[in-house]
Amino acid sequence: MTFNNSTGKKKILIADDSEFNRSLLIDILGDGFAYSEVSDGAAALDVLQNENDEISLVLLDINMPRVNGFEVLEAMNVNHWIEDTPVIIISAEQDSGFAERAYSLGVTDYISRPFDVYIVRRRVHNTLMLYEKQKKLLGLVEEQVYELQKNSSMMINILSHIVEFQNEESGPHIQHIRIITEMFLKALAEVDPRYFFTQEEISLIGIASALHDIGKISIPSAILNKPGRLTPEEFAVMKTHSAIGASMLEALPIYKDEPLVKTAYKICRWHHERYDGRGYPDGLKGDEIPIESQVVALADVYDALTSERVYKKAIPHDEAVRMIKNGECGTFNPVLIKVLDKVADALYVKLQSAASGEYDDDMRKITAEILQKNQISPAGRAASLFEKERKKYMFFAAMSNEVMFELNYKPYMLTFLNDGAKRLGVSQTIVTNPLKSEELFSCCGEDKLKDIARLFAETTPKNPIIRYEGVINIDGGAHPCKLVAQSLWSDEAVPTMTGAVGKIYRTD
Amino acid sequence: MTMKQFYESIGGDYEGTLSRFLSEERMKRFALKFESDPSFSELCAALGRGDAAEAFRAAHTLKGVCQNLGFDGLYAPVCRVTEILRAGNLNVGADMEELRTVYGVTMSAVRKLKED
Repeated sequence: MTFNNSTGKKKILIADDSEFNRSLLIDILGDGFAYSEVSDGAAALDVLQNENDEISLVLLDINMPRVNGFEVLEAMNVNHWIEDTPVIIISAEQDSGFAERAYSLGVTDYISRPFDVYIVRRRVHNTLMLYEKQKKLLGLVEEQVYELQKNSSMMINILSHIVEFQNEESGPHIQHIRIITEMFLKALAEVDPRYFFTQEEISLIGIASALHDIGKISIPSAILNKPGRLTPEEFAVMKTHSAIGASMLEALPIYKDEPLVKTAYKICRWHHERYDGRGYPDGLKGDEIPIESQVVALADVYDALTSERVYKKAIPHDEAVRMIKNGECGTFNPVLIKVLDKVADALYVKLQSAASGEYDDDMRKITAEILQKNQISPAGRAASLFEKERKKYMFFAAMSNEVMFELNYKPYMLTFLNDGAKRLGVSQTIVTNPLKSEELFSCCGEDKLKDIARLFAETTPKNPIIRYEGVINIDGGAHPCKLVAQSLWSDEAVPTMTGAVGKIYRTD
Repeated sequence: MTMKQFYESIGGDYEGTLSRFLSEERMKRFALKFESDPSFSELCAALGRGDAAEAFRAAHTLKGVCQNLGFDGLYAPVCRVTEILRAGNLNVGADMEELRTVYGVTMSAVRKLKED
């Protein structure tokens, strides 16, 4: 639950255009709370934007000048504030359609006028209590998910170490493969967006990677741990471990349809395939090899090179990366070589420390994903992580000399991230219906706004960038400026434009 | 003047309001605050300018205030005016006249209450 920092009291935002009503509400609720009072919707959005984590509850009037209560609710939905901040509507409207619309926009409760002291107090206290309980429960769910994931990956690690133990390689091989695999999967989408994985999928593949060599349990120890070079016959036996590992998983009586086992199957069977088709057991080529198998194969090669084995010394990191890039250890997908270039330095640092910190962060991200999938907002640690990200973002925006903005289409609104609104002479950081905003007209003229809107309309997911130059009123005078922005698109099969992000900077 | 007498003089709902406000002291404080509520003069000014949207907003606010205070006598004409303005119609004629009259009665009662 959020508290006002200075007083230790929960803070309630009261948005009502009537001063009379605001003071009546404050009188009813008493001095056990701190209050923030605003008389219109735009000011309410300003408070929510700037002190979001301090507001415990919003009491919202519907009929307000400039930006009305429904528009405030729509903006709260877009920004996901409604998930953490309860809203109670206070209105004299008797029309049931009003209440229905407000509930569908996520309000928790409805207090109609005339105010009844007892009812106002009860509803406010109940709502605050409910949210507090919900946050506690979400925290518990998060802990449970964390524990479950930890236990299952621990079991898999123990099992894999048994294999490694027989293999006498042991050491941190399993952990390294997992770290490298996850790092590659995270960076993959940046190089090639076709290979996008969610945090949950990345973690699943990471866990499954621990099973890549389970087939070795059936290889005679004399071959497995032979210090010298293997004879062609011995190598033929050794090569069977990938197919054997896969069939062990396939033979599982109950779990074989689980995503983890299916992923592990692909990794076991195909982690010795080669991009040029010269690998084993199936001689798959190029994209026929699942990308997760390709990633584990590369991780396996890197770790084998940089580790000491019965038959060889460890090769230093830089040398190993160079050898892989030169094709001295087999042919890899050029996309993966690009990823290797990108992550090589970070990889070295990460493997040196092999800290568990990142692992905790991942677990929180997974929990947040699961909760979001079920329409529940993340709580506790996860929420505070998101808040941290947001603060970081706001900080960099504040340090920048550029005016940064976000545009959202449904509902149509423009949000300035730093002091942009002030520099452009716009009174609010959130502007609803920007194409009808008099303040924006006087800042850059209606024609320019329409030109920019047209440029946005012409963008496509492949060509999302727009550039525009012109003289606008900024910092109290007319100055030549440039605008650069990128439209944002939904992930649907036929993407639709959801909004844009961009910046404006002076060129004089 | 007692609060009961005050409410009787303006056609207000004393019992109902007391049951909602829980104390006569709170009732009195907010009845006195009615004097400084600007929504009536905002309504008149907006009507003078022919600004239907702002007139509606002001009337709506005044309606909410009357409702909260249990000023039923004033609430009735405010309600009618609000509904006319909601439709964007500025032709509030007779209802506005009645509202003006009752508002005058209410305000003088509030001032008397203040002097006591």
